[in-house]
Formats: sequence, structure tokens, C-alpha cells
Amino acid sequence: MNALTPNRPDLPAPVGLLAELTHRCPLRCPYCSNPLELDRRSRELDTETWQRVLTEAAGLGVLHVHLSGGEPTARNDIVEITQTCATLGLYSNLITSGVGGALSKLQALYDVGLDHVQLSVQGVDAQNAEKIGGLKNAQPQKLDFAAKVVELGLPLTLNAVIHRGNIHEVEGFIDLAVKLGAKRLEVAHTQYYGWAYVNRAALMPDKAQVDASIRIVEAARERLKGQLVIDLVVPDYYAKYPKACAGGWGRKLMNVTPQGKVLPCHAAETIPGLEFWYVGEHSLGEIWRDSPAFTAYRGTDWMQEPCRSCDRREKDWGGCRCQALALAGDAAATDPACSLSPLHAKVRALAVEEAAENPPDYVYRTIGSNVRSPLKEEAPL
Amino acid sequence: MNAAFPTPGADETQRLLSPEELEAALRDIGARRYHNLHPFHRLLHDGKLDKDQVRAWALNRYYYQAMIPVKDSAVLARMTDASLRRVWRQRIVDHDGDGPGDGGIERWLKLAEGVGFERDYVLSTKGILSATKFSVEAYVHFVSERSLLEAIASSLTEMFSPNIISERVSGMLKNYDFITKDTLAYFEKRLTQAPRDADFALDYVKQHATTPELQRQAMAALTFKCTVLWTQLDALYFAYVAPGLIPPDAWTPGTGLVAQKAAPGTGRIAAGDVPRLPRGVRMRHDETRGKHVLLAPERTFDLDDNAVAVLQLVDGQRTVSEMAERLGATYAADPKVIEADILMMLNDLATKRVLER
Repeated sequence: MNALTPNRPDLPAPVGLLAELTHRCPLRCPYCSNPLELDRRSRELDTETWQRVLTEAAGLGVLHVHLSGGEPTARNDIVEITQTCATLGLYSNLITSGVGGALSKLQALYDVGLDHVQLSVQGVDAQNAEKIGGLKNAQPQKLDFAAKVVELGLPLTLNAVIHRGNIHEVEGFIDLAVKLGAKRLEVAHTQYYGWAYVNRAALMPDKAQVDASIRIVEAARERLKGQLVIDLVVPDYYAKYPKACAGGWGRKLMNVTPQGKVLPCHAAETIPGLEFWYVGEHSLGEIWRDSPAFTAYRGTDWMQEPCRSCDRREKDWGGCRCQALALAGDAAATDPACSLSPLHAKVRALAVEEAAENPPDYVYRTIGSNVRSPLKEEAPL
Repeated sequence: MNAAFPTPGADETQRLLSPEELEAALRDIGARRYHNLHPFHRLLHDGKLDKDQVRAWALNRYYYQAMIPVKDSAVLARMTDASLRRVWRQRIVDHDGDGPGDGGIERWLKLAEGVGFERDYVLSTKGILSATKFSVEAYVHFVSERSLLEAIASSLTEMFSPNIISERVSGMLKNYDFITKDTLAYFEKRLTQAPRDADFALDYVKQHATTPELQRQAMAALTFKCTVLWTQLDALYFAYVAPGLIPPDAWTPGTGLVAQKAAPGTGRIAAGDVPRLPRGVRMRHDETRGKHVLLAPERTFDLDDNAVAVLQLVDGQRTVSEMAERLGATYAADPKVIEADILMMLNDLATKRVLER
């Protein structure tokens, strides 16, 4: 573990750990970032294992822990796990839907030192929000939960995943964040992996809608300066350059699944042939440094053209590997979201075409469903 | 003016028209040139504009509203007939009101405030597009320089306005959740005022345009006025719809608006304020990387030695001045200089919502 020092630029220390404590969730959002094959409760790591993982993470240099899921408060030991973060000096971020048992556990989470709450909101209009989340009466529970977070004095971030079913509500999300007393708002256009990839045609907005939403956010940032910080994630398919996925493969983040599989990003399992290691078999440091999944696309040696000779190769690190696989059929290809990719025009055309169609119904996420990965059904572009 | 160039609409009549034919010809000008046909108005009425585009319209249109009594005063000043003035002065009263808080300009200000503007910003006319000003001022100059007949004929766009107003009110109420009936009170009044004004002006023009040349002038005046309105929408479309080129100094979205009520603890930090790190923001030493960091929601700030020295003094007890004095003593530097530096740093963090007072 001592090999992990900032003096080795080829092997930076991780700063963030995404702890997917469970895949269980009362919501069924059609863009869920969980894999199509969800882990069952019986396979989830126990409390002691999570505490060991967190201790190893702190030793590796991790600063932020994102307690996520599924719905992390569905775990009975969420308070204990949060307390462990606080003891280790790790910054704890609860990423929650605010429904189910979230509200009843909030006071205890506050008491043991929870640092921050990120609450998902599916829509502003309750009926629309509940249609997207697939759960009746979710919206009032979320609003109550948000009010309690603010009342306790915890910082609140609202996270709104944007798609064609709610892109008309961007202004409303901003007003809602202000009304609830949130300090931050994430206006995050859907990233098309996992369930969102299955539902892409139902979710893809058109370019004019995307542009209008960006204008609204920019104006609100100016207007609400010092009151609300708004982070904007624009949709890849309409971008010029891809985003540095997870800050670069194996450079900043690690993701531990409910059953203890360690991934360089939450969608990495869609790439066939990658060998992931489990926290039950290796220390987190070994996994970060040596596991085949992490070394596969770390740095720039694996790159093909046009990435290999590109000036931006250490800015966006070739974009997203999972998206390269899904759209180009090769995880080592340039992310087709990049305008320099030979496939970019096709991807753009696909987005435009799907956004122009009437949206099909959502395929809601479920555990144990028979949704086949579209990667097998759809020939690469 | 215009002596060397043909006026649009010229040479359309050679013979003397009957009063009815003249009215039909005037109405035909509106049917082809009135600004209800402009793409910007279609977008406005169909709910296709975003809130900032509606704001741009409301702001620029204020300039037109505010100058209408100036224009009518210029017309009035040219009327030697008291009975004529008595009728015409009603237009000025309608717009200016009988006292503060009354009249069409006031109602337009309400509309601008209704879409979020600060009253003083609108009154300052600072953010108005130059093209709006040029068009409106051309109208004022026109009625001052041309004949009284032409001045009165140029007001005849009011014949066409009731249709556009009812279309606008119902369209805007239906399509924009930030528009209320109160916001649109201006138009309600105009629905009765405009036809009354237009009837008078039309009768005047029909009676006094007694030669082919005078009739041509009256039609040209109305054409000119349609252009005054159309050009304002061209400018709005160019600046705020497509290509979206906002000229220097014109209003940009986000400015001139009433600040939303500030949340507790927010706002600029001054020397006498006591800054504090709120829950969810903390400084710690990062052993792995050998430096101090400020941990905050979804982000980490790398801190240099100066920032660490400042943040170590942020304890929810000391004022910024007291912090500066302490640092001044420690580093043998002028506390006033340090205070300015600290304030800049603290306000930067406050803007990012990781420091409060």
C-alpha cells in the first residue's frame, strides 16, 4: 500500500469510494445506473466486511464515501456504517431516494455524523415524478424528507436526472431546490448505460430541448449565485468531447457492489472479459493497484487512434469505456460521444432519430427480471 | 426626410379613393404588415418562448410604452384646434394615469415586475436593445416632422390591435405558468381604449385625406408605423431567439431581476461578520497526499498554506477583522491588506455555498 503515493502519477490514490450497499430500492426508475442483473439481498456484504472495506479505503487515501444503492437506508446497518465513516474521518454522502425507511433513520444518521445528503427527485409535478419513479405517493415522502434534512442543518443536494419525460421541468427543479433550502442542485442529463440504455428511446430529448435546458441553468446560476450551486451534466450524445468517465479509469474512484465486487465505474460489468476482484478475496489496495479490471484501461497505453495521439488524451482519458463498447462494439475504441470518433455522426443521428419518435413505454427496473442486455440484441454501429 | 428615396407603399394609388376604399386600403396594410404576423409573436403566443425570452420582450416593449405619451404630446403640440386636442389628450391620460400608480405605463411596469424584473432596472431603460430605441425614436420624430394627417394616420395600427391582444392574453395565460391575469392587466384596458382611439383617428384620416397625394401619405404613414413595430420584433428575435446575438450593454438573462429571498447565512461576507464552516464542510489533513483539504458536498478543495492559516481561524466566534489582526501579528503584515485578501477568499467559498456567516 505504500506504493500508492502521489509521486507515482501512473497510479494516483483513489479519492472517492462509491459504496453500493444494496440494490434493493422502492423506486423503479427507468434510467437506474444499477446493472441489469441486480444483486439479491442474500448476497450482500455484511456489516463487518463493509467496515473493513471503509478502513482500507481511508488508508488508501479515499476522502469521500458515497453511500449509495439501490436505496442505502434499506440496510438495517446504515447507521453503523455511517458511524464508521465518521470515525475514520471519511466524508459521508448519503445518496437516497428519501422514501421507504429513509426518514425514520435520518435523525440517527445525523447523530453519528453524516456529512451530506443527496436526494433524488424524478420530477416536480407529483404525478409525473411518480410515473417516472414507478412508485405511488413517493413525492410527498421526498418533500418531507428534504424538509427534515434542512431542519437538522444537514447540507442538501437535489439530484434531478433529466430526460424527455421531465426536461420541461428544469425551471421547476430550480425553484423546488430554492424552496426546499437545498444548497446544491444537480441537473444531470441521463447517461445512457444500464437501464437507461434499454430505455434510451423513451428518454432521449431532442437537441433544442437540451439547449433550452442549458440556457435555463446558466441563467439561474447567475441569478442564484451564492444561494444555490447548480451542477450541470450534459448528455454525451450531443457533446463535442466525451467526459472523463469517473475522472479517468482507475484514477479517482472505485465502486464496490453489494456483493463486494470492485469496479472502476458502476457500469464496468457491461464490458465482457474484464476480471473483477472481490473484497472478500483481496485487500482494497491490491484491487486498486493490480486487479485486471483496474489495470485494463488505466493510463493511456491501451488507447487506439484517434485517442492515442490526441492532445486531450489525459483530459478525458478517451471518454467512457462502457459507452465505447455499447456503441462501437469495442471497449478500447474512442468513445463515440467524442466528435473525433469516426462513429460520432452516427451516434448523433441516432439520438436525433430517437428523440423525434414517439417515446415507447418505460422498462422499469426490477430485481430478477428477464431484461436482456441490449448489447447482445443490437449490432454495434 | 426620405426626399430622395421612394416611400414603401407609394405609387399604389393614382386616383382619389372613396372614404370606404381608403379604409379598405388601410386595413389591407395591416393585414399584410402588422406585427401579429411576425414569427416572434407566433412564438410568444404559442408558449414557445422560455421565461427569459418573454422577459426580453416585456423589457423592450416597456420603452415603446414609455415613449407613447411623448409621441402623443408631440402630436398634440401640432393641433391648433381645441376640440381635437381635447380628444387626443385622453391618450396621454390613459398612458400616464391621473396620478402615481395609475395608467398604461404603470400597468406595463407591473407586467415587467410580474415576469421578475426590478422596477428600477426597467425604468432605467439600460438594457433596452438599441434597435428598439431607434425604432421608437423614429416614430416620435416622424410625428413631429410630418404633417398632422400623417401623424394621426400613423396611429392607425390600433385598428388591428384588439385581435392581437385577445390572442396574446389567452395564449400567454394558457402557455406560461409565470403569467397571471394581473400581470396582463395592461391589455385588458387597451381592449376598450384602442378601438375608441382608432375610430376617431380613422374618421379624421377619411375626412382629411382628400387628394390622391394625401391618401398616399396616410397609407405610407401607416406602413411606416407597421415597420416601427416589426423592426422591434426583428431585433428581439435576433438577440434572444436566433442566432441569439445579444449586443453589448443590452439585457442579458439573469440580470436586472429581483433577487430571490436570500437563504439564512448567505450573502456577501463583510469585515464585521463572523464566518463559520457549516455542517458538512470540514478541513482535514490528507496524509496520503501530504496536504490539507476542505471536504464539502460532492467536492474537495485543495488548500495552500495561506488558506489553511485562514480557515484555522474560522471558528464561528471571530470576525473577519479579528482574524486579519491575528494573522497580521503572526506574519508581521498590514492587517488591512490581509483583511482584503481574506474577504476575497471567504466570499469565494461563500459563493460556492461552503462557508456561511
